[in-house]
Amino acid sequence: MYMRRQAASTTRKPRREKEGQGPRKKRTCRFCDAKEIYIDYRDEKRLQRFITEQGKIIPKRITGTCARHQRQLVQALKRARHLALLPFVSDTIR
Amino acid sequence: MSTTQRTYETTIIVNASLEDSQIDAVIGRVQDAITKNGGAIAAVNKWGRKRLAYPIRKKTNGFYVNIEFTGPGTLLGTLERGYQLDEMILRYLNVQLDKKAIAARAARPASTPTPEAPTVSPSPEPSPEGQSSPDEEKK
Repeated sequence: MYMRRQAASTTRKPRREKEGQGPRKKRTCRFCDAKEIYIDYRDEKRLQRFITEQGKIIPKRITGTCARHQRQLVQALKRARHLALLPFVSDTIR
Repeated sequence: MSTTQRTYETTIIVNASLEDSQIDAVIGRVQDAITKNGGAIAAVNKWGRKRLAYPIRKKTNGFYVNIEFTGPGTLLGTLERGYQLDEMILRYLNVQLDKKAIAARAARPASTPTPEAPTVSPSPEPSPEGQSSPDEEKK
């Protein structure tokens, strides 16, 4: 019963088409791919990829980082900020 | 007597406007503080003068020093107190290194960020740097 109903609902709403986008690219977590076990706060060059020009941390829904690595990443980023390796805010406005 | 020995890492930013000898004196003081309070120093990495991402106490440059050591947890408190009293230390960060961190450091000698370009240092860096960065991207 339940199974059938679910199947019916998925056929009714093909979500991709409804949003009007092509097939979504599958994002994978960079750190999982690299089998990273520890994200070091010291290599700011790698961390830089995960902040915006303003210095904001990019959410995982955009970078595709998995939850566990995002948590580690955020900690690393914040440590790097504390040590002035990365900016809290970078003034691109000026 | 059963004080657990853990591995820690402390990174300090020393006022870069000091002479090299004075900076060494500051580092020496920190090392003394560690060893006298039951710690053992594993490694001292001097990252050298680097530009700060934002000014700290109106300084735009700092001399980064990173010290790995093992010791009892009580050591950190005394260490931090020393840091706060020392005018020449702009910023510090103490981190406990867990097993994963130590393993990762061992696998990739993360002192790769050590010979970093954004330092004020001049020429000889760019070539090893160009090699290291695509390498990191692969990883």
